[in-house]
Amino acid sequence: MTISDEQLAAFADGELTGDEQAAVAAAVAADPALAQAVARHRALREKLAARFAPVLDEPLPARLTASLAPLQAPSQTAPSADNVVPFPARARRRWGWAVAPALAASLALAIFLPRTGDGPAGAVDGVLAQTLDRQLVADQSGDADPRILLSFRRSGGDYCRAFAGSAQSGIACREDGGWHMVETAAGGAGQGTAYRQAGSSELMALAQEMAVGGALDAEAEQRAQAAGWQAQ
Amino acid sequence: MQSTFENRLLELLPRMRRFALGLAGHPADGDDLCQMTIERALARRDSWQEGTRLDSWMYRIMRNIWIDETRARSRRAQTFVDEEAGLGQGAAGAQEAAVELGDIDRALTSLPADQREAVLLVMVEGFSYREAAEVIGCPVGTLNSRLVRGRDALLAKLEEAA
Repeated sequence: MTISDEQLAAFADGELTGDEQAAVAAAVAADPALAQAVARHRALREKLAARFAPVLDEPLPARLTASLAPLQAPSQTAPSADNVVPFPARARRRWGWAVAPALAASLALAIFLPRTGDGPAGAVDGVLAQTLDRQLVADQSGDADPRILLSFRRSGGDYCRAFAGSAQSGIACREDGGWHMVETAAGGAGQGTAYRQAGSSELMALAQEMAVGGALDAEAEQRAQAAGWQAQ
Repeated sequence: MQSTFENRLLELLPRMRRFALGLAGHPADGDDLCQMTIERALARRDSWQEGTRLDSWMYRIMRNIWIDETRARSRRAQTFVDEEAGLGQGAAGAQEAAVELGDIDRALTSLPADQREAVLLVMVEGFSYREAAEVIGCPVGTLNSRLVRGRDALLAKLEEAA
């Protein structure tokens, strides 16, 4: 009998019963190629299970247990429905997961000015360039302006940094030895906290779309800075 | 009653974090996804029926949030991402650049969403095909074929990386 890929996978996963199970088992026993396919499938399953098993033993982050263990000390971070979480606290989140869906449709379109023209992205100089060169997410001061939201590498390996400031916010990438804006958002000058936060959340979401391999951690960021933000 | 529900969620949390990490591909994203799932589960606790499996219900919530988010993100990508940034996943050079991810994570994040969730539910979370299909809300046969495609793609990528 001919064994389909679906049948073989189901067999390897122990999903078949009765005659079908017996038929596939016989075919596998008679055909080394099928037996090898089953073995590969099971090896993959073990590999995947082993990769994720350690998560079960990790300590649970307080932000996840806070709302499930009401008898413990009241959480100081419980968000209220319409109040804005202070900007620095929000900015420490690496990505905009939680906030992006609500904001994506409305605010993002209003805030972002798409990159104009077909020419090279605008070069960055002056104070902003220095900030992008020097400031690390891990050790910037609480009221840094602009604040670096995160650093990452985009497809092709260039380092990019998302930042938010009162004058300007956006994402700049390192190209040809200099920083170039690839996404621009208006700064928060004269606006309330909500505005700034919306901008930075959207920047996070955009960064996430551009990033290959997630945000740099503190160590990787330091190494990148030490190497002058040059793509290897 | 109330604390029972919350205690049960608490007991499920390690598994939820595992599934979330697999879906999101990054620990911080995974915990964000977990947090959203908990919030939604608490808000909709009345729609869970006593006597049915709470874990399947939670997985379904998480999976729905993730799928919605993935779709929203790809819509945004079409609006904002220029050709230079590309669409990230699967782009040339992506594999080398993702230094901090293991081979398995990279291979997983390169899978389409429907294959990724099928692979994770069955091969990591240990659901039967029928249970996994219920979480996703698709026929068992569909789950089976997504699993085959996802598994073949993973094997190809991992063997290529080895």
